[in-house]
Amino acid sequence: MGHEAHAKTLPAELGAPAFVDAWKMRALMVGMVFSLIAAALAFADHSINHVLRGWLLGLTLTFGWAVGGLALLMVQYVTGGKWGLLLRRPLEAMSRTLPLVFVYWLVIAFEMKKLYLWARIGDASAALKAGWINEIQAHAIEFKRPMLNPTAFVVTSVVCFLIWGLYTWRLNALGLKRDLDSPANTPMWIKKLENISGPGILIYSLTMTACVIYWVMSLDVTWYSSVYGLLFLVGQGYQVLALGIIVSIGLSKGEPFKTILRQTEQHDLGKFTFAFVMLNIYLAFSQFLIIWSGNLPEEIPWYLDRFQGGWGVIITLDFIFHWLIPFTLLLSRDIKRNKKRLVLVCQWMIFAKAFDLFWLIEPNFPGAARNLHFSWGILEYIAVPVALVSFWIAYFCMQLKTRPLVQTNDPHVAEILEAEHAHA
Amino acid sequence: MPAREGTYGLLAEFDTPSDLVRAAQQARRDGWRRMDCYTPYPVEEAAEAIGFHRNKVPLITLIGGLMGLVAMFALETWVSVLAYPLNIAGRPLYSWPAFIVPAYEWTILFAGLSAAFGMLALNGLPALYHPLFNAPNFRNGATTDKFFLCLEALDPKFDLVEGRKYLESLNPVSVVEVEY
Repeated sequence: MGHEAHAKTLPAELGAPAFVDAWKMRALMVGMVFSLIAAALAFADHSINHVLRGWLLGLTLTFGWAVGGLALLMVQYVTGGKWGLLLRRPLEAMSRTLPLVFVYWLVIAFEMKKLYLWARIGDASAALKAGWINEIQAHAIEFKRPMLNPTAFVVTSVVCFLIWGLYTWRLNALGLKRDLDSPANTPMWIKKLENISGPGILIYSLTMTACVIYWVMSLDVTWYSSVYGLLFLVGQGYQVLALGIIVSIGLSKGEPFKTILRQTEQHDLGKFTFAFVMLNIYLAFSQFLIIWSGNLPEEIPWYLDRFQGGWGVIITLDFIFHWLIPFTLLLSRDIKRNKKRLVLVCQWMIFAKAFDLFWLIEPNFPGAARNLHFSWGILEYIAVPVALVSFWIAYFCMQLKTRPLVQTNDPHVAEILEAEHAHA
Repeated sequence: MPAREGTYGLLAEFDTPSDLVRAAQQARRDGWRRMDCYTPYPVEEAAEAIGFHRNKVPLITLIGGLMGLVAMFALETWVSVLAYPLNIAGRPLYSWPAFIVPAYEWTILFAGLSAAFGMLALNGLPALYHPLFNAPNFRNGATTDKFFLCLEALDPKFDLVEGRKYLESLNPVSVVEVEY
């Protein structure tokens, strides 16, 4: 139409702005400070156990961004859409942090015995006789031995890392190649990336499920839930979108995101995040409702461990932090369209995710189940994840700098440069 | 309400959406407020041009949703605790986790219905009669290929002669007076 001929043009320089280096430095400093705090807390606590538990939390969070980022990268290739173009390079950068996540995982693999009961106990019947474990645990350890043993843990995890690595490498390499190719071939590239991503999403959901079962669910040998993988899948969408929005809005202080981040797509991302907030509580509550209704002795203790002895406060706060606050805030159109406020909500969501993981992880351990109490060690749940996440962010910023932030050979570029309609 | 009489407004016809949007922007700049645009398909710039503002549909939806939530949760509580107490596998009568799902469904149902009917009500629909259909060019053109700007008589600036002169200055295809 004649009255709106004011489309913008892409800036010449498409690399990440210089302030990303400042982010990196800041993250590194925070990481160092919190590493020192974590070390001090370990001395105060006279034990490394809580360091490892906090480490597992940090691993789960950063793993969520790296592998969840890879998954969302594949999702946007399959669905298309302008939000996908916007997030593509940040998601690629998240996926390329996989080596760091692998390093984080190595620590858990080496110190497996301190975290996992099934790894610590070689002979379940002897341990039962000695009174270290109860009958249910002894039975579960014996019965699940083919799956829950150190070799299977390491092999499964390494195979999963290799698969994710393969997808990361392939998608990242093709993403650059596509920009070097002539625009005439773009339809071919779109199809190609779509065909790689489709099966990739399926493989991601299987491998990711396997890993969270090993890393997190098996902390309690007796318990199982068939929705566990899906719960983490949605949780990864939750945290990846939150970080994606923070990064996009942060980058929009300079070119090229200043040009390409329109309010329309920001609003879309907010709505997308809202859907994950909803899906997250839906699955978490379904799991609870089914187990509560069944009220079976195999299942219900897992919840009792997390409700009784002070944990009721934590789960109530978790419900408020993880769902109620993001839900009510993201309902508002104005908040989704306001840069500063949307960033605040997303930062809150990441904190809430970590809080939820604390509730999932800590009550697995004998001293803490149905008994929330203070020790210097419990503060490791703050110190260690903050340190790990900070180092991860520094690495992510490094990755963000390595390539242009906008894919140019994409039909959505022209659309995203169009002037947008203002809405009330 | 007694039947209204007199002039509903002045209707200007345009051939292109751009002309309409320009005219509407000009009219708003010149202080006109009671006016509306009519187009065969959504033209977002036209809505902007006449100062499209937020409406009460979200509030109606929220209130509807909360009403559904409270109604269902209260109904379930009343049935299970007071009206027909049953011992189900030894659970307490007030077993709130089991109440959540129907309460949630009713929240969605009431919110959805409130949004749909609230939107219709705020739009003044269903309307069995609208004076604009008295204008033949509107009848024929508004749903096919014509774009209209209507200055309504309710606007304090409105004057039949001055208003017509003003609209003609915006280069429309035609200006007609619309009666109630």
